[in-house]
Amino acid sequence: MRVTENTNYDTVRDSIRRTKERMEGLQHQSATLKKLNAPGDNPVGAAKVLEVRTDKVNNDQFLMNAKLAATFLENSDHAVGELSDIVARAKEIALGQSSGASSNQDTRLGIAEEVTQLFQQAVATGNRRVGDRYLFGGYKVNRPPVDQDGKYIGDDGQMMVEVTKDVFISMNVPGDEIFNTNPEGLKQGSSMGGYEMATRGPAAEDSETAAQTMQPENTNIFDELQNLRIGLLTGDLDGIRSCLERFDDMHAKLIAQRAKIGSRLRGLETTNNALERTNITNATLTSSIEDADMAQVVSELAKEETVFRSALQSAQKLVQPTLMDFLR
Amino acid sequence: MGLPNVMLTGRSGMVAAKAAIATSGHNVANANTEGYSRQRVIQATDTPQKGPGSGALIGQGTTIARVERVNDEYVEKQLRNSGRNLANCEEKEVVLKQTEDIFNEMGGEGLNRLVARFFNEFRKLANEPDNEAVRQSVREASQALVNDFHRLRNSVDDVRKHIDARIEAHCKEVNSLGEELRDLNQKVRAVEIGGASPNDLLDQRDAVLRKLGSYMDLNMHKDKEGNYVVDIVGVGPLVAGPNTEKFYVRRSPSDDQGKPENAYDVVSTASSKSVITHQVKGGKLGGLIDTRDKTLSTILDRLDDLAFTLSNSVNEIHRQGFTRHGVRGMDFFGPVMIKERAAEFIQLSDAVQSSVNNIATAAIPDAPGDNRIAIAISGIQNMRIMSDQKATMDDFYNSIVSDVGVAVARNKSTMHQQKDIQTQLGKIRDQISGVSIDEETANLLQFQHAFDASAKVIQVADRMMETVLNLKK
Repeated sequence: MRVTENTNYDTVRDSIRRTKERMEGLQHQSATLKKLNAPGDNPVGAAKVLEVRTDKVNNDQFLMNAKLAATFLENSDHAVGELSDIVARAKEIALGQSSGASSNQDTRLGIAEEVTQLFQQAVATGNRRVGDRYLFGGYKVNRPPVDQDGKYIGDDGQMMVEVTKDVFISMNVPGDEIFNTNPEGLKQGSSMGGYEMATRGPAAEDSETAAQTMQPENTNIFDELQNLRIGLLTGDLDGIRSCLERFDDMHAKLIAQRAKIGSRLRGLETTNNALERTNITNATLTSSIEDADMAQVVSELAKEETVFRSALQSAQKLVQPTLMDFLR
Repeated sequence: MGLPNVMLTGRSGMVAAKAAIATSGHNVANANTEGYSRQRVIQATDTPQKGPGSGALIGQGTTIARVERVNDEYVEKQLRNSGRNLANCEEKEVVLKQTEDIFNEMGGEGLNRLVARFFNEFRKLANEPDNEAVRQSVREASQALVNDFHRLRNSVDDVRKHIDARIEAHCKEVNSLGEELRDLNQKVRAVEIGGASPNDLLDQRDAVLRKLGSYMDLNMHKDKEGNYVVDIVGVGPLVAGPNTEKFYVRRSPSDDQGKPENAYDVVSTASSKSVITHQVKGGKLGGLIDTRDKTLSTILDRLDDLAFTLSNSVNEIHRQGFTRHGVRGMDFFGPVMIKERAAEFIQLSDAVQSSVNNIATAAIPDAPGDNRIAIAISGIQNMRIMSDQKATMDDFYNSIVSDVGVAVARNKSTMHQQKDIQTQLGKIRDQISGVSIDEETANLLQFQHAFDASAKVIQVADRMMETVLNLKK
């Protein structure tokens, strides 16, 4: 093979260019600590990283959603707890005053005063707020859902929040579910809802409505407190006695609501844990695609440096002498 | 055979040695001239004559038969082809790198993040549909999304403009190279008619052809007079005899092969159809046109598709909702009627721009806590509404990014291959045509000695002549 000086120089230039190019790439990796700096470095990995990144943003939002829902639900739980205390106290009163032996006109009038207090306390609890939003108003969050007469003026809106991809839970319990033992009976004739989501609407999770058509009788906490008060004021002992059973129903209903809220809170915790785990898995995955293995980068840099040096050294040997040098 | 003839024989040797030394000098001087092929003197014996008194033939010395260049046409052709492929890759590399930068959000903000943010702002809004601050933030995130659509489209458009500028410059270059080749054809012809080999002109002609060949796919053959006839593959002649065809660029409407509105068409006198934009393949021009009309057009079409689908599907849901003022049927994005250039025209609707209370969240009126519309809008993120119900918006956009990456990576690896091939071919050419200083030095010595020896012949003949002239004394 005929080898000319230009071939020599070209070889030297070429090998220097190659090593420099590789060193440049490694240098960039060690400066950014990433091996994926542009989509061209790993097109499939780049798409994956973007996908995971969106997942992470969404998961963080879902965690935020869950936190907010938890605040709402915990506050609802407290309020429902207070309501059940009120009902328990009312029942105690009714029990104490239901027989002529244990009560008389005067005691009943005094006790009626306490029942008025209980009623006002119940209204205040029904109008409990988180921030400036009313807990029990359904979608009507910006005005008190229970008026001074104990009438419910909210709606049955369930505020759904997405707690993990495509999984929704309701963060509120509409007031009529809490204040009534059988809201279906109450709702007759009211023209709520009627809106169907055009796309995929978050379905309400309560499915107990069908079962309740069997027992149409409804008890309302505010009405019942009023009944008790009127019974006490008028001395209608039968009326007071008839309250007892209904207070029992009411109490049972409130306990059931607390259980429901409690199970939602537990559900939130489970999804939160799952989300946190997903986030960790995702971070590991991204890191394996995106992050440079520094030990490898550094050792390869060292290797390239050696290659570079030897390229330069051999260049010196290769290029220096020509026949001219020996003909003087 | 007289003594003067012996002197002439010596002289012929000196002349030949001098020519060889001059040629070696020429080689050394041009060792670094691009496209230079080393030359060598081909000597031949002069016609022998009969010696006096016998039938024997006695040599008459040497003549310079010709000076030839050492060159392999086949290697030249391969070099042209690989040079064209390399130029094609290098040209694409420049514009693809720019495109990659536009879509590179590995280390920062970009459409992927903004789309995610857009949908999550609606999730926040679903949490607090009655919170004015959250509404502001929804509008702000949406504006950022819209702006990024505009940024992407404009930036890719800028790359196209840059490509157009290069196409125009390349066309001018092709025209001047075509003329240069035609002129060299004529010069070569003029010298060859005189019987000599115009080695340096041949090298120049090859170099010009190689440059010309880097712009597009060309075929070259020699006509019977040795002229280079150059055809553009799939179009027609570029240089033939005294004619060179001209290239121009012309702005024109979009066509069905992906050429965007107002971008340059390549027009040539070489084809009866005159517009040859999509006939030109390979090389710098082919690479640029390919990138502009295929790669970038596809990317923009998909970006438009995304913007179009986003604005329409959000609007469709948004229109079913009630605003804070209890109004139904409002648009969130301004109307985008057609897919074409949707990424350029996407914007917030006037209503949303004028008041954040025009963002609808509720499915029923007078229900400030109703978040069903906001939830439904955020749900678009996970709906398979792109590519015939096969991909979500995120998937779709990520695949654009990944396709840009694939285009860059593929081009880069092809380019590395071509560079290697080019280097290898360069070495092969150098083995054949390159100048070796060592070799030339050795040749110089060799010819110098030949020169000295031939001079000695004359000296000896001179002495002999002297001897003959002194016979009478």
